[in-house]
Amino acid sequence: MQEIWVVMQKEFRQIFRIREMIAIIFVMPLIQMALLGFAISTEVKNVKLVVADQDNSFVSRELVRAFTKVEQFKLVGHVQSEKEIDALIHNWQAQLALVVPKNFGRDLQRGSIPEIQVIVDGMDGQTAGVAMGYAAGVLNDQLQKFLTQPQMRQLLRGVHMVNMQERMWYNPNLSPEQYMVPGIVVLLLTIVSMMLSAMSLVREKEIGTLEQLMVTPLKKHQLIFGKVIPFLILAFVEFMVVLQIAQWIFQIEMVGSLPLLSLLALLYLFATLGLGVFISTITTTQQQAMFVAWFFMVFMIIMGGFLVPIENMPPFLQKLTYINPMRYFMYMMRDIFQKGSSLHYLLKDAIPMTAYGVVIFTASVLKFQKRVS
Amino acid sequence: MIKIENFRKNYGDIQAVRGMCFHVEKGELFGLIGPDGAGKTTLMRAICTLLVPDDGVIEVDGLNVREHVTEIRNLIGYMPQRFSLYQDLTVDENMQFFADIFEVPQDEREQRKKELYRFSHLEAFTKRKAGALSGGMKQKLALSCALIHTPKLLVLDEPTFGVDPVSRQEFWEILHEIQKGGTTILVSTAYMDEADQCDRIGLCFNGEIVGLDTPQKLKNDFKYMIYEIRNENLYRLRDFFARHPEIRTTQLFGDALHVSFLENPTESNWRQYEDEFGDTFTKRSQISPDIEDIFLDLMENHNG
Repeated sequence: MQEIWVVMQKEFRQIFRIREMIAIIFVMPLIQMALLGFAISTEVKNVKLVVADQDNSFVSRELVRAFTKVEQFKLVGHVQSEKEIDALIHNWQAQLALVVPKNFGRDLQRGSIPEIQVIVDGMDGQTAGVAMGYAAGVLNDQLQKFLTQPQMRQLLRGVHMVNMQERMWYNPNLSPEQYMVPGIVVLLLTIVSMMLSAMSLVREKEIGTLEQLMVTPLKKHQLIFGKVIPFLILAFVEFMVVLQIAQWIFQIEMVGSLPLLSLLALLYLFATLGLGVFISTITTTQQQAMFVAWFFMVFMIIMGGFLVPIENMPPFLQKLTYINPMRYFMYMMRDIFQKGSSLHYLLKDAIPMTAYGVVIFTASVLKFQKRVS
Repeated sequence: MIKIENFRKNYGDIQAVRGMCFHVEKGELFGLIGPDGAGKTTLMRAICTLLVPDDGVIEVDGLNVREHVTEIRNLIGYMPQRFSLYQDLTVDENMQFFADIFEVPQDEREQRKKELYRFSHLEAFTKRKAGALSGGMKQKLALSCALIHTPKLLVLDEPTFGVDPVSRQEFWEILHEIQKGGTTILVSTAYMDEADQCDRIGLCFNGEIVGLDTPQKLKNDFKYMIYEIRNENLYRLRDFFARHPEIRTTQLFGDALHVSFLENPTESNWRQYEDEFGDTFTKRSQISPDIEDIFLDLMENHNG
């Protein structure tokens, strides 16, 4: 224990001696979180809408008005022909075009089934799909309103309509921040802890101090723990700070228990720091360590369920995510944050994540040689 | 203190050390002299338990390096070739760190630091970061850190490499002081002129010890006559002498040529050389061999 403490003291001295280090550890993640939190939004808003109202009836004008009333759409202009629509979409001036054909209102009142055309810029498939969904929603609402007017009642005789009542659980306002920000916090925690630990041992290798440390009675686990514990403490403090500030900036709320989240965060850090130290033991220069660390991190971020839900991946890739420690913590973070889950429900993720940390640390200690090759 | 018997170490197909044998006595200042790639660092690392011998036996204070890793690490002070201190820590913090790791008791520690500061003259710089010290001072700090736990054996791998001549001289004086305190010192260097500072030297070449004795004895045993010869056309002069069978070696030393003769040439021999060469030699004087002459001679005549 005494030896670990000696190494820890030295590490802390070195970390705090470099002012830039404090900035890297504390200020940069906060800036990143603020920027990313606002930037990464899956919400589709202000879709640029262009309308070709060839009917120009009361019904068609009401329909267009309904589109302009919701915040998802922003009317950018009226045109006559489809050719003009073509040009507008091509020039990025419009994303969605609504074409109301002649006699739309009349046909509707007569009880026939008139067609209405919606053209979407499908380049960004996800946004296009969401915009299309919104458009269908607006259209249905409007149609329902129209058909339930007293004068239309007779048309509906014998027709039964179902009204869907939606309830969003765990995120009633469908706030994207509520879902994305905890994910970003996990991301930042991972990057900082892995980078710091991946650089730690290899830095001493590079400057040559490791050779001198090797010829001391210091045991290898003492050296590794002495070097990693300061990073564990720093990364944990950072996690707490970022978490509090995130809730304040984005006006989001954590439902679950902070002590439970803290415990799981420590276990997660054990895994990421272990991975970092492992990278440190298999590389010989800081540059190599940096590249290897990024290789792992890109995999972890993409395969961790941060942006793409793991359930949407092909089955064999889903299996691959089980070797990604971020996967487990991402689930648990969101569960605790939004659903307030208790440990009981999280054990299926907590156990493999902890096992991961134990295995990788053991591997690092075994791989690390107190000899030169 | 150190016993090396038939030590071998290969790196892949390369034989870095091929069967070294020698002993270093307690209290001795032993120098390993030789060029880069001679196997000095490999040998020192093996002594420090940093690498395992492929063959042979190495014992430090009666302990085999294969088995008694921790015990050996406790009793030696090692200074690797590359400057290895924490540049972002101060002089005092570096010394404290190594004192902590070696568990030097607090009451002994102050006494020991005082002694080391007396050698190194670093008292005035205790609060300065190691990275801001001059080359010679860094070297002295590294030495102090290696000595903080009062090791029985001090192993220094090319400690004076890249240090200015004045600091080098001062460094050797410090080593002599340490030796007086009873510490055995094994030091390596590529600077041949430093050989005379050692009690005994081992000349390393190509993974072998090609000469082993006190510097004086090695010089006395050198039985060939060395002449220092100067002429404007040194290269032609060298080629000229190299052709003669009665000449053992020819070596260029700056603006002079050192030629060793199997037998002492007579005045008439010299006249004959000048006639054959077609020019007079501007200087010719018998010089006593230094370690470099001996080393080059051994190197040249070692394998062939």
